[in-house]
Amino acid sequence: MTPPTILIVEDDPALRTLTARALQENGFAVKLANAAPEMWQALEVGQIDLILLDIMLPGTSGIDLCRQVRQKSPVPIIFISAKGSEVDRVVGLELGADDYLAKPFGTRELVARIRAVLRRGGLESTPGEREAGILGFDGWTANLPRRELMSPSGAQVELTGAEFDLLVAFLDNAQRVIARERLIELSRARIGDSSDRSIDVLVSRLRRKLSGAGGAAPIVTVRGVGYMLNVPVERR
Amino acid sequence: MIRPSVGLLGRIVAILLLAVTIEFAVSTYLYERASHVSVRDDEARRLAEHLIVARRVLNERPAIERPEVAEELTTDRYIVGWSTQTPPRPTIAPAMDSMRRQIVDWEPSLAATDIHLRLTSPGRTSMVSGDLRLDDGSLLSFRMREGVRTLDLALGRVLLALIPAIALMFVSGALIGRILHPLRTLARAADKLGRGQGASALIVPERGPKEVRHVTRAFNRMQARIGRLIDEQTRALAAVGHDLRTPLARLRLRADSIREAEVRDAIGNDIEEMEAMVSSLLAFLGGEGDVEQPELTDLAILCANLADDAADHGRDVRYAGPDHFDCRLRRFGMKRALTNLVENALHYGQHAVITLDVERSDAVRIRVEDDGPGIPEESLELVLEPFVRLDAARRRDTVGFGLGLSIVARVVAAEGGELTLANRPEGGLCAEIRLPHCRT
Repeated sequence: MTPPTILIVEDDPALRTLTARALQENGFAVKLANAAPEMWQALEVGQIDLILLDIMLPGTSGIDLCRQVRQKSPVPIIFISAKGSEVDRVVGLELGADDYLAKPFGTRELVARIRAVLRRGGLESTPGEREAGILGFDGWTANLPRRELMSPSGAQVELTGAEFDLLVAFLDNAQRVIARERLIELSRARIGDSSDRSIDVLVSRLRRKLSGAGGAAPIVTVRGVGYMLNVPVERR
Repeated sequence: MIRPSVGLLGRIVAILLLAVTIEFAVSTYLYERASHVSVRDDEARRLAEHLIVARRVLNERPAIERPEVAEELTTDRYIVGWSTQTPPRPTIAPAMDSMRRQIVDWEPSLAATDIHLRLTSPGRTSMVSGDLRLDDGSLLSFRMREGVRTLDLALGRVLLALIPAIALMFVSGALIGRILHPLRTLARAADKLGRGQGASALIVPERGPKEVRHVTRAFNRMQARIGRLIDEQTRALAAVGHDLRTPLARLRLRADSIREAEVRDAIGNDIEEMEAMVSSLLAFLGGEGDVEQPELTDLAILCANLADDAADHGRDVRYAGPDHFDCRLRRFGMKRALTNLVENALHYGQHAVITLDVERSDAVRIRVEDDGPGIPEESLELVLEPFVRLDAARRRDTVGFGLGLSIVARVVAAEGGELTLANRPEGGLCAEIRLPHCRT
């Protein structure tokens, strides 16, 4: 099996080299670009499995590049930014990036994020398509690109990364029973959260957050099998 | 402390009003007095002369002819009549006493005729009427056709005279208002700038009188300078943040290839500390360039999430409060503030409790309590100041510049709330955020 090829778009030469070395040591094939022109060239020449894109680039900014790439190709993108703010993260994800990594990052974190995004892409037949929507269920609205959940009253509801992944797993399999083992597999696909909480704890937290005024959360336990989201999901 | 003031326009209008009122009062008084005296004297004399003539003529005629003669004596001004009976005499008004005196002064012979004057008011106007005795004891009665000036008339004239005065006030008020308008615009702009709402330049157009234009120009120049300074500072900080984080990222990756675990971890900790410092500095000085808008947020879940997160990392943090509470705030800012409080609590203590108390439908208190050593009472205010670290000498393991609580204070102030620190009676610190209007 050929190793996945990662395209690193980064204007700082030393950081580019160091990132490349770290990825190679972890079994990835690497291509390098310092700005937009080289990136387009690399995309034309060969198969790229994932782009590691710095937001602050000379010439065309990473944000514009991301938008342009998204119009042509569903290749997964991870933003690298020197800004650590949450607002930036949300904007990056909304533009179609698959994840967002703030500088400075360590090798372990970088590799884990890349693997998670690649695995997620592999799980779906058409990568990127699933995340392109806003889903409604039982009055709630899940904005998948921004990774945000809005309650029936219109309030933003904070979810941890693992909880959001779990919710996405439920939304993808609405009104179907999901076995516990399958849920663990699905929600581990993304490492938004480094916790090792058991799936039952995550489900109970998600239930607590999804409980409305007097109403119980629309997640039921199917004894001996797993869990089920018992309301229909609509695309918006 | 600003004393309440009526403002420049109010003052100018007041001065105008005072001047016009005095002028009006004085001229009215003079005019009224002069006209009253002269007209009354004049009328009294004419009436006296007419009465003398009428009396003489009637005296000379026999009683049978007298009604006819009386009719002939009736003129455009006076109605003259004759009768033998005494008509009922109403109470005499004082004003008529003075008029009688005037008549008698002019024609002293009338004093002997038992002359009486009275004011009758058949309609809206009052008329002077009266009678006097002839030599044979019969009565000559008379009445002035023209009504005397009454108070009604005087009031009417006052109002009439006031109309131009009032119109004048309005016109001059509007004119002065126009002159002052640029000054008011300037005051508003300066106020905005003072409250820090004028992030983008609020250039005030140079209009109005010379002095105002002058002040406006000076103000514009000043705020342009302030704006430039702030912009430069923000840009410089963002650049520093960017430029520091890239070498930090390099250092991080380089450190990962160090084989000795001890050295690698030590360098890793140093990098983490430096990154925390850069982040807090940028958050405090606004170098991240975020302008977050308030949005409806479930604050209860935000708090519960912080507790869950900490618990997932092996710390003992509990959340106590309702499952849901919606309020309108800048949620990333608030999350950062609460995270700072929880981190502080766990830095000095072992356990932390986040409590959400709903006071009213739109007021809420969030408390973060720990079981640490607390803060000496005299320093409770001091720790909210930026760059203050109480434990600088005691403990060297504190991360950052001492900006954590300053950032919290700033976030809370932006939401219109209050941050108070207090030592708990049972030990430990209680940081309380009160948001009084979190629904609007």
